[in-house]
Amino acid sequence: MVEAVARERVREALSKKAEYGPDVDLTQFRLEKPRVAVGDPDASLLAEAQRKVGLNPGSISYFQAGETAFYKMMEATLAKMGVVVKPLRIALKEDERARRIAWSLVPPDKDKYTAAAYLYGGELGYYVYVPPGVRVEQPIYTCLSLFTGGEVQFTHNIVYVDEGAEAHVTTGCMVPHGVKGGLHIGISEFYVAPGAKLGYTMLHSWAPGVHVRPRTAVRVEEGGEYHSYYAVYSPVASIQSYPQVRLARGAYAKLTSIVSAEAGGVYDLGGRAVLEGEGAAAEMVSRVMAREGSTVVARNEIDAKTGGTRGHIECLGLLLDDASRVDSVPIISSLAPGAELTHEAAIGSLSEENIAYLEAKGFTEEEARALLLRGFLSVEEPGLPPLIRSEIERIVDFIVKNAVG
Amino acid sequence: MLKVEGLRASVAGREVLHGVDLEVPAGEVHLLLGPNAAGKTTLLSAIMGLPHVQVTDGRVFLGEHEVTLLPPWERAMRGLALAFQIPPEFRGLKLSTLLEKVAERHGTTDMMGGVVELLRLDGLLDREAFRGFSGGERKRAELAVTLLQKPRAAMLDEPDSGVDLESVGIVASAIERLARRGAAVLVVTHTSFLAERLDGEAHILLDGVVKASGPAREMLERIREYGFGEVDGGGSS
Repeated sequence: MVEAVARERVREALSKKAEYGPDVDLTQFRLEKPRVAVGDPDASLLAEAQRKVGLNPGSISYFQAGETAFYKMMEATLAKMGVVVKPLRIALKEDERARRIAWSLVPPDKDKYTAAAYLYGGELGYYVYVPPGVRVEQPIYTCLSLFTGGEVQFTHNIVYVDEGAEAHVTTGCMVPHGVKGGLHIGISEFYVAPGAKLGYTMLHSWAPGVHVRPRTAVRVEEGGEYHSYYAVYSPVASIQSYPQVRLARGAYAKLTSIVSAEAGGVYDLGGRAVLEGEGAAAEMVSRVMAREGSTVVARNEIDAKTGGTRGHIECLGLLLDDASRVDSVPIISSLAPGAELTHEAAIGSLSEENIAYLEAKGFTEEEARALLLRGFLSVEEPGLPPLIRSEIERIVDFIVKNAVG
Repeated sequence: MLKVEGLRASVAGREVLHGVDLEVPAGEVHLLLGPNAAGKTTLLSAIMGLPHVQVTDGRVFLGEHEVTLLPPWERAMRGLALAFQIPPEFRGLKLSTLLEKVAERHGTTDMMGGVVELLRLDGLLDREAFRGFSGGERKRAELAVTLLQKPRAAMLDEPDSGVDLESVGIVASAIERLARRGAAVLVVTHTSFLAERLDGEAHILLDGVVKASGPAREMLERIREYGFGEVDGGGSS
């Protein structure tokens, strides 16, 4: 009975618009039947995953194309370390932890997108579990790809890093060549147990006409750490995400967003950190640039619920033409004395003074612009594994090349 | 060799240089002296071809080749360097990256270590270039960029202003190193400390023209005794 009431409430949320971002009419998109398949996805899809989001086909632990999850690929060598990577649908049957976390961090009736994922998503997505004390040196790679265009892709991902364990999960999101349009709704719930550390890199390579609505929530327990690196570097009709990170005593989170907006798209991104325990700290860094009539809204918020906490927001925006727009919305709020919260936000253009200086040192104007853009987009993130760092370097090069011509 | 003939230039529509003639032979350090607003920085900017200065007449030579019509980057690639009086701050671009890129561009990557050591920049490499640097740090970092350009002619705009005494010594060593390598060096300075250490010729720029040229020590004596206004009598070359 309780379940029926809850389900009814979620059904009502199907018409509930999200707090931010343009509203997307869900009925425009086709609902596919979610399924878990045996075997590999098409070789051309794997090749595109490598080209667009830098994922080596042999190292991908989970691949979802449209509403089909390929589970043969999940029989990973990670199993040797006791690390579990499997479709969430299967994990929900077999694993009590997965059941405990599912829909506990992201409420299914939050908005129409979470409601649709809850009701129609079929719990496709990945489940990653890292046992206590295990340090996974290699990143755990997952890939989510739209398939034919025009469809809704739902994915529900849960990552559980147990006490004292460390892992880095990288998810590449993409659209196969020639596919235009579609809606991606991704629910992500991450649990970082006491003293554990989770790094998460999300690389978005979408296409014109695609709408993207990730809904992410993270719980970081005492002394845990969460590092997120979020890069969006392709055209998209709209993307809106506002991940929530709750931090217990002594926990730390750093959220870095790199956004290169183009082709008239709307990019509404950022996040919120809630400092719940004494000694908790959060840093949020955004570097956003907009061109070709695109709009970026960089929202970052830190709420301190208790004293002895620290938080800093840094948002820098670059407007590369007069048809585009960048809004920066930093919010810091404190409910307790003794919290130290700061923010810094600036929006500008590439400095003509910097360009003239570099030209006087032997760089052409184009080279000077590229050097400045590269510097602007480079954010120090010591927690990134070397493999991910080099992939991000490649992505930054790609963004700079596209922006400068 | 750096040579300027009859250079006239304007800033924001106002003529600042009214026909400057100047020559600095290879391997020599020359000082460019003059009161505030005499046009010293404008002269260096005009020689470098910076966009905010419009050259309306005259010619600039680097060695035997005229560079008057070349864009700044091409002048730089031919061996002309300008150390800015106040280099702009760079957001996101580390000093180490700037130095590496400049060294790559001018084929001097093997000089990086030595230059960083000479100018004591170790502690600054991981910081954003020129951002929040003290006066001395800024000058030393800018000189490093200049050294890595391995220039045939270098113009240094007040490399000793706002700098502590220790840094002035380091700056002077770097300037001497440039000259030893055969560069023609033109230094704008207001302080006698650097002027006295760098023994060479001096040129007095007044109201947009070179009024006098001669041995630096002699010129400094005359400026001390009579001020800039009285140096355009005897002694001009």
